[in-house]
Amino acid sequence: MKESFLLALRAFMRGRVALLLLVAVGLIHWLMPDFVRSDGTASGILEMHVRIVPGFAAAVILLTVLSTSCGMFARERELKRLSLTLVRPASAWGVVCGKWLATTVLAAAAIALSSVLVLAMPPALPGQAGVPPCRHHYEPTLPPPAVVAGHILGGYLRDPATPEAVRKAPKRAVLALLTTKEMDRYDVVKPGETMVWPFDVPRLKRQMEEGAELTLRVRFSTQFELRTPVAGILTLGDMSAVVSNSTQAVIEIPLARTGKGDGVPSPLNLTFANTGRSAVMIRPRRDLVVLAPADSFAWNLLRSQIEVWSLAAMLAAYGLFLSAALSRPVALFTALVSLAVVLMAPSVVAQFPDEFNASFADRFGLWLSRAVQSATHSVSAPSPITDLATGRAIEGAELLRTLAGNVLLLPGMLLSLAAFIVRRKPFADG
Amino acid sequence: MNDAVIEIHGLVKTFRDFWLRPLASALRGVDLTVGRGDVFGLLGPNGSGKSTTIKLILGLLRPTAGEVRLFGLSPRSRRARARLGYLPELSYLHPFLTARETVLYYAGLSGLDRRTSRERAAELLSRMGLEGSADRAVGGFSKGMARKVAFAAALVSHPELLVLDEPTSGLDPLATRDVKELIRTLAAGGMTVLVTSHQLFDMQDVCTRVSILSQGKVVGEGAVADIVAASADPRHALEDYFAAAVGAKEGNPA
Ligand SMILES: Nc1ncnc2c1ncn2[C@@H]1O[C@H](COP(=O)(O)OP(=O)(O)O)[C@@H](O)[C@H]1O
Ligand SMILES: [Mg+2]
Repeated sequence: MKESFLLALRAFMRGRVALLLLVAVGLIHWLMPDFVRSDGTASGILEMHVRIVPGFAAAVILLTVLSTSCGMFARERELKRLSLTLVRPASAWGVVCGKWLATTVLAAAAIALSSVLVLAMPPALPGQAGVPPCRHHYEPTLPPPAVVAGHILGGYLRDPATPEAVRKAPKRAVLALLTTKEMDRYDVVKPGETMVWPFDVPRLKRQMEEGAELTLRVRFSTQFELRTPVAGILTLGDMSAVVSNSTQAVIEIPLARTGKGDGVPSPLNLTFANTGRSAVMIRPRRDLVVLAPADSFAWNLLRSQIEVWSLAAMLAAYGLFLSAALSRPVALFTALVSLAVVLMAPSVVAQFPDEFNASFADRFGLWLSRAVQSATHSVSAPSPITDLATGRAIEGAELLRTLAGNVLLLPGMLLSLAAFIVRRKPFADG
Repeated sequence: MNDAVIEIHGLVKTFRDFWLRPLASALRGVDLTVGRGDVFGLLGPNGSGKSTTIKLILGLLRPTAGEVRLFGLSPRSRRARARLGYLPELSYLHPFLTARETVLYYAGLSGLDRRTSRERAAELLSRMGLEGSADRAVGGFSKGMARKVAFAAALVSHPELLVLDEPTSGLDPLATRDVKELIRTLAAGGMTVLVTSHQLFDMQDVCTRVSILSQGKVVGEGAVADIVAASADPRHALEDYFAAAVGAKEGNPA
């Protein structure tokens, strides 16, 4: 393990891959803001600095990692060096792991450089911080959509009025459909009525007790007209805000202390009392987020870059796995195609949840997309650069889940397979 | 015999393509026994299956049929691998490593500790006459020098069995003599050597036993001393023996 690790590191260093990558990352940070014109507004410049530049650097790093790892065993085999390694008593697993570790170290170095440059070269924005704030995003503590879907289905089945077709339909498909519907469900608050959503997050309560300043990110919809005025009172525990608004865009409303001083109630709820003249519609799972201050942009940058690194580690393992079986161009092509499939699977599942009336091919495609999505959740779920740019604090538990999937679970499987294939002789060189 | 280092019985290897259609029958039933202390020459023309035999012995390929035992163990076992050294027919070294780093790398893969590796690398490199270039990148080495580095790497684990595939091919006469001298020294030290070559007179003065392969079959085998004694022209004894063996197999006596 140690030998193949050092060997691969030396190859990166003396073969100039490392140098080229670091220079590329440096140039991206240094030149891109000048060459690619942002719209010139403060938010455009900020967007360039915290989203486009680090995102492009991350893409370059990930592609470099993928293409080097795709060549690692292929090249050894081409140059008939693999047999020299395989006749030694060292375990193939150790050899594979060493190469993988070296690749993750290369990625870590490049990612570290990228983060340092983001911090070291903040744009000069008069009268504004050079970085966005970093805030916790708290969502309503509703039961998981799949559970709700289960209840709804149970209700249907018990109801004698339910048509036979619904009873006969495949249960899994109905559940999937109901789950998607639940994600986009609207709560309608009629004039004069009040709607309640639970926000029972222990840390949110703690932050409220400590007197944190909260903001509600919300989107009000009205049924018919785009510019219907919305009026009402929002209350979250001992904080509240008066709403008077006529837009359907996502808005942020700061909450103020009511001054009653009776502390944070438990359970904690968000309520909206509609004092206007028309009904207001809110999707509780999409339109309601309580924003609370988190640590600094720098810490969030660190977390987001760790997520990027975890993706690099996963891609390195995947590339090595492909490289164990295929030649470099074929491995790289396969890697890129399958990466596209992995990244697209969630939107396929989200957009085509309906298995009814679908052809066999469509049903198969959907089934495959679901399988791919659940197997590669840790790859497709995190959006480190978007989180960084929108100032969403990446939570510790989230980060751990991503790391467990991308650095332990998937690489563990892929590297074991790679070691197995490398040892299988039909593939050995000569 | 307990002293056999390599035992091969009825070895058959048919290369197949991805769809498992046969491509080439490299070996068609080979039997071999290499005893401890032998310098065993596996001779035969190009394409006769020498390298294939070696890869099967090393566990790099799986036999289609038949059996290979290395030190009485499966060639795929780690304990067997720990006891052998291998110099492939064609080997490209890692061009950016120095000669010393190359030897240390393979020493590490063989599980030697740092100190032993360093001592042995220095000793082997000077024995190969490479002290002066030990810290130069091997990417710039000549073929002969690269072969010497590979030799040093093969020897660094002090193997009981050394497997050399065409160690002299492509070398100039002086380098060839160095290689043969080295084999002799190693054999005198008690190492078992399996060496292949398509140049017969090359090996006559080095090997103790030879086996002649032709089209994937052993067509002759014996102690070099016996062959030389039975020969009319001792200088070309192996060549004559080989010609006779191949000729007899093909049914047109030489
Ligand atoms: N990987 C392979 N795939 C297909 N055929 C092969 C392969 N390796 C060797 N062969 C065939 O097996 C035969 C023996 O090859 P080899 O053992 O390399 O001969 P030698 O080393 O004696 O010159 C040749 O006909 C060769 O074409
Ligand atoms: Mg050969």
